[in-house]
Amino acid sequence: MKTVIVYKWARKLEDAAVRNDGSVDWRNAKMTAGEDDFAALEAAKAVAGDGELIGLTIGDGETSWALARGVLQATSVADAPNLIDNSATAAVIAAAVRQIGGVDVVVIGDSEEYSGVPVALAGLLGWAAVAHVSSASTSGRRIQVERKQGKDVQTISIATPAVIAVSAASAEKAAPGMKEQLAARKRPITKLTLTDIGATLKDKAISQGTRLPETTTARVFDGDPAVAAGQLVAALRDEGVL
Amino acid sequence: MNDAWIIVTEEKQVAALAAAARGMGGKVIAVVVGPRGLADRTAATAPDEVKWIEAAPEAAIEAYGTAVAALVAAGAPKAVVTSVSAEGRVLAGAVAAKLGAVVIPGGLKLSAVGEKTVVECAHLAGKVIDTIEASAPVVTFFAGDDVAVGDCAPAPITQIPAGAAADIRIERTEPAAGAGAGITKAAVVVSVGRGLKKKDDLGIIQELAKALGAEIGCSMPVADDLGWVEKERYVGRSGQHIAPRLYLAIGIQGAPQHMEGVRDAKVVVAINNDPEAPIFKSADYGIVGDLYEVVPALQAALGK
Repeated sequence: MKTVIVYKWARKLEDAAVRNDGSVDWRNAKMTAGEDDFAALEAAKAVAGDGELIGLTIGDGETSWALARGVLQATSVADAPNLIDNSATAAVIAAAVRQIGGVDVVVIGDSEEYSGVPVALAGLLGWAAVAHVSSASTSGRRIQVERKQGKDVQTISIATPAVIAVSAASAEKAAPGMKEQLAARKRPITKLTLTDIGATLKDKAISQGTRLPETTTARVFDGDPAVAAGQLVAALRDEGVL
Repeated sequence: MNDAWIIVTEEKQVAALAAAARGMGGKVIAVVVGPRGLADRTAATAPDEVKWIEAAPEAAIEAYGTAVAALVAAGAPKAVVTSVSAEGRVLAGAVAAKLGAVVIPGGLKLSAVGEKTVVECAHLAGKVIDTIEASAPVVTFFAGDDVAVGDCAPAPITQIPAGAAADIRIERTEPAAGAGAGITKAAVVVSVGRGLKKKDDLGIIQELAKALGAEIGCSMPVADDLGWVEKERYVGRSGQHIAPRLYLAIGIQGAPQHMEGVRDAKVVVAINNDPEAPIFKSADYGIVGDLYEVVPALQAALGK
C-alpha cells in the first residue's frame, strides 16, 4: 500500500514557557517530532509492508527524523506556519497528500494537544478514519488496527483510503545512531511550498490572549517531612478519603 | 441563530457537553450515535432536541461520519461540541470539513459575540486558558469537568436513518491485558514514577500501599523503560484509566499522558521534590519533599 507517515507537524509542548501573567513564550520553538510520532512511524511501516512509504513533514525544524528511522523519501512543506486552527493545519497536510498522489493510507500521531488535526485531515480528504490506535497491520487491501477502549481492546478493520491516528503506548527505545543519521542526509527530500500544493491559509481564528487557569493548585504541605505527612493525613481524613 | 450541536458517542460528560453548548445562547441539538439507551440518557440532560442514529452492531461509530456531517451541516450551527473520545473526534472531523469550521481542541466555555464565536480552551495540558475568537463555525472537544444532571423533562428524540455507513468494522472486542487487575477497581492507588532511584526501593512504596490497603500503579517509564512494575499497572492515556477515591502519585512529574489516566480520580495527592512539577497544578494535595523521607513519614502518620 502507498502509505504516508506524517511527522514533525507541531511544536513540542515542552518548548513553551508560561510567564507569570499567563502569556506563553515559545522561545523560537520549531516543529519537532511529537511523542506519538515514533509509534505512528512503527504503525506506518507495518501498513506499508513492501509498498511505498513516504514521509511528510510541515513547517520549520529538522526534516530528517523519519529518514533516519528507515523511511527512504520525504516531502516537506517548510513554509507552513504553526496555526491555532487544527483544521487549517490539516488542510496543509491534506493538500500535500493530494500532491503526493495515489496515497492509500495516511498514518499520523494522535497528539493530545493537537487532537483535531488527524480527524480534520480525514474529514478534508473525505476518508474513513480511526483514532487512538495502538498498532496497525494489513489484511489484503484492508487495514486492521487495535485500540484500547476503556477496559477493552477493539480490533477494527477499515477499508482504504484511510487515516490512522496512532497514540504512543511507549517511548522510542533507541534513537538512531550516527550511521543512520548520515544515511538520512543522503535520502531525497521533495521540498514544496504552500503555493506548490495550492494551500491557501485563511485566518479564521484569532487568539485574544492566554491567561492562567483559575483552578486552584494543590494544597501543598512542605517543611519537616513528619509534620507535612501528619498534615496531609489529617486533611485526607477530613476529606473522607481515608 | 446561535445554535450549537453536541455529538454524543459515550455516556461520559454528556451533561457537560450540553451545558457548554448552551453558552452560545441558541438552541442545543444533540446527535447521538449508539444504542437507544444513550439517546435516552442524553435526552435527560436538557438539550432542546435529540437526533438518534442507531449504529449497526458490527459497525464502528466512526462509520457514520458522513451521516452525522450531513445532519449537522443542515442545521448550520455556530458551534459543535463533542468529547475527547476517539469516536466523537472522528465524527467531529467529518462535520468540520462539511461546515468549513475551525477546529479547536480543549474547549471549556463557548459564547457568541455578534457574528463571532468565542471559545475558551485549555492549552499546554491545561497550563493556560486561551480565548479564541472565530469568524467561522467552531468544532471543539470538551475538556472541562462534568456537571450534574438537573431535574428536567426529557427532550424529544427523533430517530434518523443511518444511511450508508463507511466500511469500518469492529472485528472483535476483548478485555485489555490487566483489565481485571485490582488497580482498575481499587479505591486507593499508590503510583510511582521516575523519582524512585532503583527497583529495590519499591519496597517502601509497597509498604505504604499495604498501610493504605492500596493497589500499586506507575507511570509509563517505570513499566516500559525500566520494567520495574508490570505493564498492566501503568496508568495513563495508553495504559489504565482509573477512578480511585484516592490517588497518590509519588515521584511522578505529571505529564499530560499520565494525568489523563487519573482524570476520574476523586482526590489526587502528589509527592515530589520538585515544587515546579506539573503534577502540583492538577493535584488536590501535595507534599514537596524527598520521597525517601516523605513516604516513611506518611506511613508513620497513617499509623497514628
